[in-house]
Amino acid sequence: MKQIQHSGLQWVSNNSTLLLFAVAIALFGILSPAFLSFQNAFNILVQAAALGILATGMTFVLLTAGIDLSVGSIMFLAGVISGKMVVDGAPLWWAGLVVVVIGLEFGCLNALLIYRLKVIPFIVTLATFYVGRGLGLFISDTRAINLPESFLTLGSGKVLGIPLPVILLFFVITLAHLVLTRTTFGKHIYAVGHDPEKARKAGISVNRILLGVYVICGFCAALGGLVAIAQLGAVSPTFGLQSEFMAIAAAILGGVSLFGGRGNVFPGTLIGVLLIQTIQNGLVMVNADPYLYPLITAAVIFLVVGIDSLQNQRREKAKRLGLK
Amino acid sequence: MLLRMRNIHKVFGKVSVLNGVDLQLERGQLLGLVGENGAGKSTLMNILGGLFVPTEGTMTLDENLFAPTSPNEALQAGIAFVHQELNLFPNLSVMENLFISGFPKKRFLGLSLIDQKSAREKAKELLSIVGLNVSEKVKVGQLTAAQQQLLEITKILSRSPRIIIFDEPTTSLTRHEAEKLFQLIERLQSEGIGIIYISHNLEDVMSLADEIMVLRDGNCVRQENQNAFTLPKLIKDMVGRDLETYFPQRDVTPLREKCLEVSQVGAEVVHDVSFSIRKKEVLGLYGLVGAGRSEMARLLYGLDVMQKGTIHWNGQKIQQPSPEKWVQEGVAFLTENRREEGLMIQQSIARNIQLAGLPNYTTPLQTVRFRDLDSDVEQQARANKIKYNNLKDQSVATLSGGNQQKTVLAKWLMIAPKLLILDEPTKGIDIGARHDIYSLVNDLVKKGSSILLISSEIEELIGLCDRILVMGEGRIRDEFHKAAFDRSAILEAALHGKENQTLAT
Amino acid sequence: MVKIANSESTFVVLLCLGYYLVMTIIAPGFFTVNNSINLLFNLLPLLIISIGQTYVLLTAGIDLSVTAIVAVASVVGGFMMSSDTVWFHNEFTTLFLGILGMLVVGVLIGAINGWAVAKFAMPAFMVTLTTMMLFSGFAIWLTQSQNLYNLPESFVEMHYTYFLGIPVPLYIALFVVLLAYFLLNRTIFGEWIYAVGANKKTARISGVSVSKTLIGVYVFSGFCAAVGAILYTARLETGSPVMGQNILLDVIGAVVIGGTSLFGGKGTIQGTFFGALFMTLLDNSLNLLNLSFFIIMMVKGMVILGAAILNTVVERSLKTG
Repeated sequence: MKQIQHSGLQWVSNNSTLLLFAVAIALFGILSPAFLSFQNAFNILVQAAALGILATGMTFVLLTAGIDLSVGSIMFLAGVISGKMVVDGAPLWWAGLVVVVIGLEFGCLNALLIYRLKVIPFIVTLATFYVGRGLGLFISDTRAINLPESFLTLGSGKVLGIPLPVILLFFVITLAHLVLTRTTFGKHIYAVGHDPEKARKAGISVNRILLGVYVICGFCAALGGLVAIAQLGAVSPTFGLQSEFMAIAAAILGGVSLFGGRGNVFPGTLIGVLLIQTIQNGLVMVNADPYLYPLITAAVIFLVVGIDSLQNQRREKAKRLGLK
Repeated sequence: MLLRMRNIHKVFGKVSVLNGVDLQLERGQLLGLVGENGAGKSTLMNILGGLFVPTEGTMTLDENLFAPTSPNEALQAGIAFVHQELNLFPNLSVMENLFISGFPKKRFLGLSLIDQKSAREKAKELLSIVGLNVSEKVKVGQLTAAQQQLLEITKILSRSPRIIIFDEPTTSLTRHEAEKLFQLIERLQSEGIGIIYISHNLEDVMSLADEIMVLRDGNCVRQENQNAFTLPKLIKDMVGRDLETYFPQRDVTPLREKCLEVSQVGAEVVHDVSFSIRKKEVLGLYGLVGAGRSEMARLLYGLDVMQKGTIHWNGQKIQQPSPEKWVQEGVAFLTENRREEGLMIQQSIARNIQLAGLPNYTTPLQTVRFRDLDSDVEQQARANKIKYNNLKDQSVATLSGGNQQKTVLAKWLMIAPKLLILDEPTKGIDIGARHDIYSLVNDLVKKGSSILLISSEIEELIGLCDRILVMGEGRIRDEFHKAAFDRSAILEAALHGKENQTLAT
Repeated sequence: MVKIANSESTFVVLLCLGYYLVMTIIAPGFFTVNNSINLLFNLLPLLIISIGQTYVLLTAGIDLSVTAIVAVASVVGGFMMSSDTVWFHNEFTTLFLGILGMLVVGVLIGAINGWAVAKFAMPAFMVTLTTMMLFSGFAIWLTQSQNLYNLPESFVEMHYTYFLGIPVPLYIALFVVLLAYFLLNRTIFGEWIYAVGANKKTARISGVSVSKTLIGVYVFSGFCAAVGAILYTARLETGSPVMGQNILLDVIGAVVIGGTSLFGGKGTIQGTFFGALFMTLLDNSLNLLNLSFFIIMMVKGMVILGAAILNTVVERSLKTG
């Protein structure tokens, strides 16, 4: 009897995110019946696209026990540059291409500084965070850029009735999932995240893996930035602020470990992203005070991280004692 | 002749580690390599493994000259190493671990993907060869230590090696698992693979080896047929003197009075353990890996949560033991892994030594009396014969293993412990430092302290203890008094319980 | 070990000195009484908050929530002291309780951080990240994004009040610096901080009260952030929910340039002092050179990176040499 109770509790703490997800849906559903409509579920998915893409990139970095604080700045810079270009009459595809190249370059820069100069990711990406944002503010002259209609159609456009952002999100997550589960590169990411020294001994080029994950993260940041501005219609000087933290939080909620080697994009990070977006959407639906959104989101993250830490302690003890 | 190493010398800087060692290994033969720590075993094997180039001497493999310049080259030539620390990734599956250095691939939509199907088939095939009966999909972290080791061997076998070097392969295995490993090794031998087997467990070496080679201080004392050895002779060859003179004498008899009484203590892997320690007594605790010795000490010291049982210290019941309380009471715990739990490896020697004793050097305002502290720390460092250049500026990372262990011991002697718990205090330490540590322990007992000595070396326990408890499967199996110490009886007690348990399950 | 620390502090000191000299020559209005006072008043709050951060980093943690603590403390102080809210009538009571209230805010948030890190073994980064989001949201919610004006005269005049020729904020900073130095270098708490940062497991087994030490450093960091908030609030004469939003880089930068390791166990108050001084000099001089704040932002980012690179290069050369 005690055994059953025990494992029940364990199940709860092992699946805290899923459970919170269910609780959130039930709660908002009761408070606002419109929340449960198919249309709203779809809305959540559309709203989650940008964060989902960012968090996918962040997951790659976190899996190697790294961190990328520059994501929000890359987003912002991407938004500013593409906005400027389109306003000045450049074709959309050209602006998009330039932006994606900027994302890749930032990722490259981060990776090179990390593995060439052996500076820890936190400091490197904190520095590029400020460089990126400063550059963006410089280019935009700290003014908001309003985007032309053509850009907005990207955000609201549909293919076969499915909004473009959702298609992009689906595409990014599928590709990421494939890379992580079905390629040598993906398996090597997990190996490096567990122990770079052992990975080196197994003949893995750790530098190449690091380069890969930061480039992927930079790419996802630029792409996520494009999706977000296409939905918003404007780039404000505060655009992308704290986005890196939301991306990290989403990944952690989805079971990715800050210490590397544990977690996945699907279903993990995706669930984390949907949980955050569901809560934000639900708060809108029940007409909550907008000032409360960050408070509630932060409280939920705190709760999940706390539960996960307790779980971790238990896991470590069991491992030490040789139990399962 | 599969392998012949001739007149191998190795000099690091000015220190000569190997002075002309010869080694021969036939196809299908098992060579037991024994010697104290620091005798040169690992240097010799690292030369074979291509990590070091010998200063002098030659090697031939199948009568061809063999001079590897990198581990990879040695691996290509068929020399494989099973290290104590396995090179596995617990967060990846069995199959992924097997192929981490090279997956079978296929093309899909222009992407180069892992060919899951053929990888799985190959993995199954490899696993069946060694008789590892697990799914290839399961995460390695969920395997037992024995299964992980088999997986490492599987990885090695997929490269068709000619010589396999086993370095202390049984340290984390239960007896039953070790027996299974031995069967596998025998099978590898019958397939013509040469085995070099390094272990401190001399019984195992005696029963497995065709030939035994004894190294001491970088010299080959001898390589002979296993039949030519007896256990005492083997020990004498290794240590260089008789056991009696190896352990310093101590003429202290334990008092009647008990200082620590433990009754019915239990938690996950420790069951109903009861014992007591007298004042001025050295109590030994013997057991094989997984017997629950260290776990018991950790419970006692409050590092893990005790689920049942009581502990009395000098007649008083200790509610919820914790390291903080024990240090205040004058009870010290030297843990078995000194890098992780004994030292602050990047900090200075002085900072390490002063840590536990700090509360004894504080004023009511919580300031530290640094002048007294510094002079006492220096005195303790000298008493412990730590070899250092600068106490305050030199990090402990720069010290040798033996001096590091003496530093940890100095930290505990600073609180003048009434009871000192030692968990494998001489693991990985050379003979000279061992002797110093034994002397320090004896001095402490003479001054009135008690010792709980946990060790997997029976000689060490026999040489130092007044009484020995034997643990198995988390329980106390047997008790031996000094007059009735008997090496084989103690080992038997540790093994015996184990086998009963295995039969029962 | 001391040698390394010495050479590192020497480096920051020389950096500050050299930079000061160069700017005296090239930046107009740099070497003036007015600017020197300005420099000092910019330095003090940053120095105080960085010292709290140094404590946390020494235990191998991090406190991202200092920005939020500054905001909440500023807002709470504003509510308690502003003549618009009229909580208290006597000016002395207002001042006393207002300042006390701000300090309590800092200590409380610090205690929450420390409690989560010590008792639940939650990663410090995640704990302080969420408390940062939570409490900066809280500050904005409390005020509905409004600033609080009309603070008591005696409070906002703090920067222009002199005792024995020295302005009040300098006394406050001096008190915090000396307290921090004393705790870290003369008491058992200081030794325990280094021990916990160097190796938590060893510290615990050696009888160190690890959770008390951890809670202690986060509380101290919260306290320092609150003192910083007092100075900022008085200087800007407003209680603002977005106060301190942009100081995180300066704080982390000051501590890292000062030679404190993000991995714990290594760092000094002296180092942090010069680190904070350098960040302030950088800010002030680039402003005087009429560079826009986004350029300053980029320069600061690169300077931090440079300091970190230098640090690893020095450490590597020590290891090999």
